[in-house]
Amino acid sequence: MNWDTGTKLKLAAAVGCAGVISTFLISGSERFWANWILWFLFLLTIGLGSLFIVALEHVVGARWSIPLRRIPERLSTFALLMGPAALVALLSLRFLYPWTKPESLNDPVIAGKASWLNVPFFSLRVILCAGLWILAYRILVSGSLEQDRKRDPKFNLRARRFAPLFMAVFAITITVVAFDWISSLEPKWYSDIFGVYLFAGTFLAGLAATTLALLYLKSRGRFREIGPDHMYNLGGFLFAFTVFWSYIGFAQYMLMWYANMPEEVFWYKERLQGAWGPLLLVLAVFHFLVPFFVLMPREAKGDPRFLFWTASVMLFSHWLDLYWMIFPVLRRGPLLGWPELSFGFLFVSGGLIWIRHVMNRGADMPVGDPLLREGLEFRL
Amino acid sequence: MNSDVAVLPESGLPEGLRQPPVLIGEIRPGGVDDQVLSHVFEKPPKAWFIAFACTSAALLIGLAMIGYTLAVGIGAWGNNMPVAWAFAIINFVFWVGIGHAGTLISAILLLFRARWRNAISRFSEAMTIFAVMCAGIFPLIHVGRPWLAFFLFPYPNQRGIWPNFRSPLIWDVVAVSTYFSVSLLFWYLGLMPDLASLRDRTRTKTRKLVYSVLALGWRGAASHWQHYERAYLIIAGLATGLVLSVHSVVSFDFAVSLLPGWHMTIFPPYFVTGAIFAGFAMVVMALVVVRSTMHLENLITEYHLEVMNKVILTCSCLMGYAYLLEGFTAWYSMNSYVHHTFMQYIAGTYRWAGWTTITCNILIPQLLWSRWFRRHYAGMIFVAVAVTIGMWFERFVIIVSSLHQDFLPSAWHIYRPTIVDYGILLGSFGLFFTLVLLFARVLPVIATTEMKMVLPGSQPHHQGRGHE
Amino acid sequence: MSKRSAFSVVGIFESPQLLMNAIPGIKAKVTARLEAYTPYPIEGIDRLLGLRKSPIGGMVLVMGIIGAIAGLSFELWTSGVDYPLRTAGKPYFSWEAFIPVMFEVTVLFATFTAGLGMLLLLNRLPLFRHPMLRSKALPLVTRDKFALAVEAGAGELDPEAVAKMLQESGAESVEVIEMPAPAGPLSPVFFFNAFAAIAVSCVLAGLLTYWATKLFPILPPMVHMLDQPRLDPQRADSFFTDGFGMRMPVPETVTHDSVPYTIRSQDYAGSLVNPMPRSESVLHRGRQAYTNYCAVCHGVLGNGSPSLTAAYGAKPANLVSQKFIDLPDGKIYHVIMAGKNAMPSYAADIVESDRWAAIHYVRVLQRAMNAKDEDIPK
Repeated sequence: MNWDTGTKLKLAAAVGCAGVISTFLISGSERFWANWILWFLFLLTIGLGSLFIVALEHVVGARWSIPLRRIPERLSTFALLMGPAALVALLSLRFLYPWTKPESLNDPVIAGKASWLNVPFFSLRVILCAGLWILAYRILVSGSLEQDRKRDPKFNLRARRFAPLFMAVFAITITVVAFDWISSLEPKWYSDIFGVYLFAGTFLAGLAATTLALLYLKSRGRFREIGPDHMYNLGGFLFAFTVFWSYIGFAQYMLMWYANMPEEVFWYKERLQGAWGPLLLVLAVFHFLVPFFVLMPREAKGDPRFLFWTASVMLFSHWLDLYWMIFPVLRRGPLLGWPELSFGFLFVSGGLIWIRHVMNRGADMPVGDPLLREGLEFRL
Repeated sequence: MNSDVAVLPESGLPEGLRQPPVLIGEIRPGGVDDQVLSHVFEKPPKAWFIAFACTSAALLIGLAMIGYTLAVGIGAWGNNMPVAWAFAIINFVFWVGIGHAGTLISAILLLFRARWRNAISRFSEAMTIFAVMCAGIFPLIHVGRPWLAFFLFPYPNQRGIWPNFRSPLIWDVVAVSTYFSVSLLFWYLGLMPDLASLRDRTRTKTRKLVYSVLALGWRGAASHWQHYERAYLIIAGLATGLVLSVHSVVSFDFAVSLLPGWHMTIFPPYFVTGAIFAGFAMVVMALVVVRSTMHLENLITEYHLEVMNKVILTCSCLMGYAYLLEGFTAWYSMNSYVHHTFMQYIAGTYRWAGWTTITCNILIPQLLWSRWFRRHYAGMIFVAVAVTIGMWFERFVIIVSSLHQDFLPSAWHIYRPTIVDYGILLGSFGLFFTLVLLFARVLPVIATTEMKMVLPGSQPHHQGRGHE
Repeated sequence: MSKRSAFSVVGIFESPQLLMNAIPGIKAKVTARLEAYTPYPIEGIDRLLGLRKSPIGGMVLVMGIIGAIAGLSFELWTSGVDYPLRTAGKPYFSWEAFIPVMFEVTVLFATFTAGLGMLLLLNRLPLFRHPMLRSKALPLVTRDKFALAVEAGAGELDPEAVAKMLQESGAESVEVIEMPAPAGPLSPVFFFNAFAAIAVSCVLAGLLTYWATKLFPILPPMVHMLDQPRLDPQRADSFFTDGFGMRMPVPETVTHDSVPYTIRSQDYAGSLVNPMPRSESVLHRGRQAYTNYCAVCHGVLGNGSPSLTAAYGAKPANLVSQKFIDLPDGKIYHVIMAGKNAMPSYAADIVESDRWAAIHYVRVLQRAMNAKDEDIPK
């Protein structure tokens, strides 16, 4: 048996698959669906974050990131892949989401929101968002892949014109994802910064995934022209948006803590009692303190080893962030058992298999982009 | 998987992809000095004196009104119950917000290595400092006994008490004074090499003495530049943190409360975006005037104005998102008070202010999608003025509209500003523009040292300098 | 050749490239210290000159952490230990509320370390006596030229040889800067003067601040809060014609829980009935009221022998005499309400219930002062 990475991943995925199926049959629907939602959102946000990175580059007209652009373009396929996963996730609504239960309409707050929180409209929103993401992918990413063959600079102009519109679409859809999939787990709760909060985590996840992918591929001898200057910029972005995420997270928490209004603060109380409190502390350490202090020195921002470990920690803490937000709805304390591990095996290996497959589909860099040479020549 | 790379010269690129020039014409370092520093030594044109007279008049009116307020008390203003906080806090938030654009241009763009920033950084930083000075007046005069304002500072006293550090008002005191001192230090450090240039150019003895003292004996030694560059970059990074935090702390003034319309978690990033929005509008307005009256069109080019207008457009869209979310949450929260407050914004007593805000902040800046508006003075000034008005009214709507009808109908009351309120607002604009006019004649409006750093050929060849 | 040795020899170069090209050659040939003077920082020149990495990053990190700890500790101490204040029901050590100030103080400490550390410590500026400041080369440098200075430092320089080396390396002109007069650029006198000036200014500033804080609150308009247009107790006031600020109640004013007493003569008061029961608590209350209000004139025993001196002209009634034993309660009540002879009305001083209670107590005194043998308990 040839024990190369591909085979190992396939084996892990198979083990995970078996575990997932057994979770569905044995551990109960709620736990199964909580895991499904968690992993579906995790991979979706990586995909959306990567698509955002691509669009951001076009909006700003950045040239330094052009050589790297193919990586987030490939990673954005997660956003498409999660389309079917989202449709499957619709099956979870009646298990996890209280507003689907008819008796919840006795509560005037939930009944008032019923015009927004009902299964048909929810599903319509999911389909609309998925449709918009597919459209954006076709324009931004497929166009870029085509440009490899056609060498037509007109794609850049089209992308530049479409990207701002995508930004608006992205803002609305990420807010809808945040409000629908995560916030409505507790339908009486509301926080208007929640869309921005998920955006911060999403962007960081996309950056971290891009960095990890880049470093991994560099270690395999690809992307040789990418130098320390490009890595430094990536490290700088990782640093800056770690601070941004922490700022948004702290703002939301502190404002709700300060006003102490029962209709808001119960969400945090749920997520601070028992073992959830220490888990939040762990999240703060891994999502803020570690990346902040590790990436603060100028030399560390461009150093591949620091970047690799920090980006890995960031992806893990993004997952932990989603876990901490979603799992308390099960009202059982932090659960870490075979179900969680098997989902991890399945989705992580599956994700890695997919990326490996997709990164080998074409050129490593957008070779058709007329500004590629300039991007390669970028120096601080 | 590599070097099959398309190689197209810049001229071969389609027009939409080409970067417009950041500098126009053949510019030598000595030429920068001549062009920019000459304004410091020349007598100002007539127009400057007229402008100065107008702004000083406005300033004097403001000072008179402040004096009247100090003598007679806050009753001279339109404040009442429940609208206990009105023009003073609106103006404070407005001016602090305007200051943030300068720090963003100076500090954040430095961290992004955006070289085009060098032509406008000095002027923007100066605007930050002046804006924060204008802002700082309001917390001082809006307390009942301004002569006891030192109560706000934590010093050991015989009253046996300390300020309440859990209050956002104290956070404000610390944040704004930190912001002012950091901005001042950052601006001054950036000025030092330029002051050295002035010192070495001037012929008058008094000027030479003043510039020598202010330049602290700077001589451009490489060993000094090394520490200087590191310190400057570090302070830029710290100032970036301040851009986010100071206006967030200002937003906490409102967001930590229980009031509907005030207690919204989106306030911190919403306020920061609004600050950058209003600040960039002010910078655009001021730079258009500076550029045309001082003939600096080759250094502050269309590129700068275009990029700043694009930032204004971006911020406008972000503000649109924030308003949308406020409206949605007003419904989604199922909180009748929040809902009522939001309906007041668009259909209540002050709906004219609410619609002014929406029009000026969201609708009019959309004109900047058009290249004509981004490139022509008339267009961008129109949008910038609209944004300034819109952002002032946004704070008006948030504060006055939310306050005038809160929980108990028996407490509802209309707010009407008095002539003293208007006078002090006018005076703050007078102070700001007076300081800007003085700055433009006394100190170089463009950071000549930083400008020289980004001229072509400014660095040795083997460093392989890329494009802007 | 001047007898005074050279401080440094400065070569002026047209472009940064020429300067960078010249440095390695010169560095190899001289042992003296090299310094470059440029109008703006040149990339890569630090390495060529052999400058050590700037320690400013570490300084800022350390001071930033100190700032964070100092800020947070100060807040925790003031709000939790020295002046514990409950605000909005939050705990004393509410770290969430202390983070904004802590962050700002961190930035403040870090920034001033960077700025002042760079200026004062690392660059040793301000410094106005450096010979380069008086050279002809410096104005060229701050404008657009690039200079390389070979500094003598502790050793000796051969100005001609060095000047020749610089010209050969591409300098367009060379200047020899003479050693300044013996009070060198970093003279102890300068530092002492600076320190003394700072110390004196601090003392002066302190005195001025103290004087200002004492003077300021008593200047108008600061005193306007003290000087209010209102009537104060025990003060004259010109508002009233008689000049008294404090006024008597309007005639016929009654307290809001009283019934007006309309009986004008003691003869008609006899029909009033004592509404208070003769219980122990009422008698105790009566004793208290009598002791407070009546005993001063009528005596503790009720016999009209008070502690008043003979200088007090009037003779109080003997309440335990037969006349008063026979007097009905209502008539005693009338005297309390309306006064009699030298005794003024006590209506305003004693509340209704106390008046009747005191009358009960007077009956107790009457029996006690006229006790019979049968009254002694067995």
